[in-house]
Amino acid sequence: MLEIRDIKTTYGKIAALKGVSLDIREGGLTCLLGPNGAGKTTLIWTISGILKAQSGSMKLAGEELAGLKPHQIVEKGVVTVPENRLVFPEMTVKDNLIVGAFSRRKAKGGVEEDLESVLDRFPRLRERANQEAGTLSGGEQQMLAVGRALMARPKILLMDEPSTGLAPIIVEEIFEIIGKLRDEGRTIFLVEQNANLALDYADHFYLLEQGHVTFGGQPGEVDHDELIARAYLGARKAS
Amino acid sequence: MDGYTISVLSNIGLFAFLAISAWILLIAGEISFGQQAYFAIGAYSGGIATAVWQWPFAAGVVIAVALGAAVGALVAWPTMRLSGLHYAIATLAFAELTRASLNVFTYRRDIEGFATGPDGANGFGDIRWVYEAGIEPGAYLAIIAGCLGAVIGLVALMSYGRGMARLRIVGEDPILAAMQGLSVTRTKIAAASLAGGIAALGGALYAHLATYIEPAQFSVMTGVHALAYGLIGGLGTVLGPILGVLIDIGLLESLRVFAGYRMIVFGGLVVLVLIVRPRGLLDEPTMRRVQAWLRR
Amino acid sequence: MIDFVQNTLDGLAIGSAYGLLALGFTLIFGVMRRLNMAFGPSILVGIFAGAWLHSHWSAGMIPVFLATLAGAVIASAYVERLSFAAIRGDAALASMASSFALWMQLEEAVARVFPQRTYAFPTFEGLPMLELGPLFLRPEYLVMFLTAAALVAGLQVILTRTLFGLHLRTLSDNREAARVSGVNVAQVALLTFLLAAAIGGVAGFLIAATDGQISTKLGMWATMKGLIAMVIGGLGSMRGALIGGLALGVVEAQAQWYLGASGREITTFALLFVALILLPVGLAGGAETGARAEAGRRL
Repeated sequence: MLEIRDIKTTYGKIAALKGVSLDIREGGLTCLLGPNGAGKTTLIWTISGILKAQSGSMKLAGEELAGLKPHQIVEKGVVTVPENRLVFPEMTVKDNLIVGAFSRRKAKGGVEEDLESVLDRFPRLRERANQEAGTLSGGEQQMLAVGRALMARPKILLMDEPSTGLAPIIVEEIFEIIGKLRDEGRTIFLVEQNANLALDYADHFYLLEQGHVTFGGQPGEVDHDELIARAYLGARKAS
Repeated sequence: MDGYTISVLSNIGLFAFLAISAWILLIAGEISFGQQAYFAIGAYSGGIATAVWQWPFAAGVVIAVALGAAVGALVAWPTMRLSGLHYAIATLAFAELTRASLNVFTYRRDIEGFATGPDGANGFGDIRWVYEAGIEPGAYLAIIAGCLGAVIGLVALMSYGRGMARLRIVGEDPILAAMQGLSVTRTKIAAASLAGGIAALGGALYAHLATYIEPAQFSVMTGVHALAYGLIGGLGTVLGPILGVLIDIGLLESLRVFAGYRMIVFGGLVVLVLIVRPRGLLDEPTMRRVQAWLRR
Repeated sequence: MIDFVQNTLDGLAIGSAYGLLALGFTLIFGVMRRLNMAFGPSILVGIFAGAWLHSHWSAGMIPVFLATLAGAVIASAYVERLSFAAIRGDAALASMASSFALWMQLEEAVARVFPQRTYAFPTFEGLPMLELGPLFLRPEYLVMFLTAAALVAGLQVILTRTLFGLHLRTLSDNREAARVSGVNVAQVALLTFLLAAAIGGVAGFLIAATDGQISTKLGMWATMKGLIAMVIGGLGSMRGALIGGLALGVVEAQAQWYLGASGREITTFALLFVALILLPVGLAGGAETGARAEAGRRL
């Protein structure tokens, strides 16, 4: 669905992409694993248009995304759940969700219905609908960010490290939500450091090391424990 | 109402335009030290239209607002990618550039035997349309109030729709806003244009009340005051900057006990308010509580 | 050509005073990440304290200098306590507005006590005009330049050789890291503020002594020059502040000579506007510091 070919991005002095190619397949969960500083967030920010790629292409069902502005990319249906900066803390939960529907120029209708369905999906958000988003717990903010992304009726959901800074039990809960979204047939691109958990849910995964994709395949296809240990522990690639 | 009250109220109204103008940019996450430039552009263009070109007052106001909005957008276009302090200084530079240019700007024509029009640092007098039309100060106050009401109404309309929410989220977190599908640049340029138009409206009204304007009136001090009004009154509502003006001009100037010490008292008051309420008196949480209370 | 060189020379001298003002701004901004609008007016208090001493007790240069310094430092301590220390958390905007309020307060207070338009300030009398071939150098300018150079050298020693200097630099570079390494942020902030005020006081004294007369407009003047020079230099680096100050001084001197007073204003602000758009990292360029990154964020 989204074909990324030979993307090169520099971002400050760290975490540059040195020619990344991968495919995000329709109706499944594609996962990108990699250690800190490998360039995972840089890739997310490049796909969403916040950072400009120096070269390479990103084709969404044949349509080029590289060079578009962030808002145009959202309008095409590629929606990001960012890491850390999850919500607008001064706004209420409900307003945060409505913001998610801003990009829907052509289909303005149905916002109320979508709001209801997101609140049905996350009953804890419904309880806090009129509370300021900044007062929510970390897990609830993550839910809110996912809910807000759903309000945009995304074709592809990009998720940047949803487990960051959350207690293990909350992480499990977030991953159950992600798993449910996948089971509904949505297309999800998940960037994670927590390899074991992510691989339980992924249909397909890639390994990113120092700006290069060093492996792509399906969980269980190879002995990925060894592969991942190598990537994370920084051992030399045997080839 | 006696003449003094009318003049104080008129002043409050005129400064409110400038304060709202700076406030709009604050909401969009930018500090402008330079909204006085648009006030000046409005005053000069409106004045030239009625006094030199002999256009009707309404046409003068319209051309002032249009010019203010256009220049606002034009200046915003290259400066919006600057942010924080750099943007603030760029606005300051533009405003001082405007003031310095007006110091050498001369454009005079013979109107009924008198040379009329801006004369550099000597200023621009005889903007007499309102007096020649026989509009009383009270009636002119009503015009100012009407225009201010229209501006407040426009902002209220924007709050009802999505406009204000767009400004606020772009101001709060531009990257997250972009990820929601908003064009940050376009939103900020629109905000700057709106702010420019509002300040220019105030400027045009000011010129016709004062009948005499000069570049020195549009100094940095004026702009920083406008900025301070919003910060004191509160960032939560468009009434915030108006409250700020009311406190400064209304309360302190009309209470003559502080005569001569107004700045000292106002300064101290502002400092105390900001220690207790860093986002002003009518800040966002306060406004949310008010709204919740109104909904009941 | 001679004119151009002469103007450059004069501009560098005045520019060294601008550089000191910018240095004061930079120190405060680096440590606090907030803008002190009352910086100039604090210096104003000092200058008028010096002028008062001069007119009432016909004090000489040294007591006047000390009074200027003391006035600036005391007024700055007042600003720091009320507008910076008292406003906590992520509230740079509030601090800026608050310091602006104190600007008005200090300026009005000075104007109350000193109601005339201008007051006399002692000058460096009896120093001969210096001739360098076809060029002339006002002795005041030489004093200005040398004092600024000595002050920068002294500051360099403080920053690199003392524990306070180390703390100041860590705070400017990375606030969070400094905090977790046990730097007493509140204390370093206050000391930095006072150090900046002293530097500003020296600059104010030099400028007042060169002009021989002072008015209450000097406060706003000093804030603007310092702020602009800091931004031209690129924010956050001491070297940048000095380069920015010198550049501003030279540009002003040239424009004043060739274009007159209103031409100078137009040129200076037009250049500032264009420079900000074309070169937002400033003249000094160089590495991204924590303070500079912060300056790019919303205040």
